[in-house]
Amino acid sequence: MGLTFKNLGLLVATLFASAFWLGYSWGDSGQPSFPPVTHQATAAECAACHMAYPAGLLPARSWQRMMATLDRHFGEDASLSPEETAAITRYLVGNAADSATANERMRRIASGIAFNAAPLRITETPYFGYLHDEVPASVWKRAKIGSRANCIACHTRAETGSFAEREIKIPKD
Amino acid sequence: MKRYYLAVPLLFLATLARAETPQQILALYQQQAGGASVARGEKFFFAKVPQASGEMASCTSCHTDNPKAIGKTRAHKPIDPLAPVANRERLTDPAKVEKWFKRNCKDVLARECTAQEKADFLAFLISVK
Repeated sequence: MGLTFKNLGLLVATLFASAFWLGYSWGDSGQPSFPPVTHQATAAECAACHMAYPAGLLPARSWQRMMATLDRHFGEDASLSPEETAAITRYLVGNAADSATANERMRRIASGIAFNAAPLRITETPYFGYLHDEVPASVWKRAKIGSRANCIACHTRAETGSFAEREIKIPKD
Repeated sequence: MKRYYLAVPLLFLATLARAETPQQILALYQQQAGGASVARGEKFFFAKVPQASGEMASCTSCHTDNPKAIGKTRAHKPIDPLAPVANRERLTDPAKVEKWFKRNCKDVLARECTAQEKADFLAFLISVK
């Protein structure tokens, strides 16, 4: 099989398609990697204490477990009325990492978690660990970071759902 | 005569729905408690309470020991000041006040707060100049 124009054309087309696909899945397409919370009650209640983490960061079973144990939420009482709990659960489950509308990154989060596990901490998902394994323990302890739950300390545009590498600014102290 | 039994809780509910200044919300708790003490409220705010973990906690763990200062949640999100003098939105929504008393009292004291404690604490916050 010689190098014909047809083969060359196919090669070029494949390269372009791959580049486009990679660019898209690496979050350079301008789309947020994890669309921020759009449900008003979810945004208001979750963000009372921490960033309103995008629903796509955990699978549905994690959100269900989380919302069923709000009275013991990481050592604090975050309980809501039954109506609020139901509405927020519906939103989180409907937009979870393993939901029908999940993007490539969300599906990677979901597929990394054992089928019989329902982690409550986003930071305990294998995907988070894989992407943060080069951050030394001493960096996490810096005063301006303080907690792994504090995305915005380094991911300057986390609240827009964007976690692109070029937007990372790690505080020096 | 029977109708009056209904009128009292209805009146209370009506006040609750309308209350929107810190003084009005304080008055609601004062009614239930029969009074309020700024000094007791201040003591309540600073009181260190041993936790199941063995550590000590108090309102000041998150809200700092200055009610006019910005606090910090355990997830490192800023908390707006507690004193109405430093935060005009504070103590303007009775449902919100109740919600956070319920949560935070359970976190620090492992029980709900009494009407007396709530009245004292609001009186203290309002007294901060």
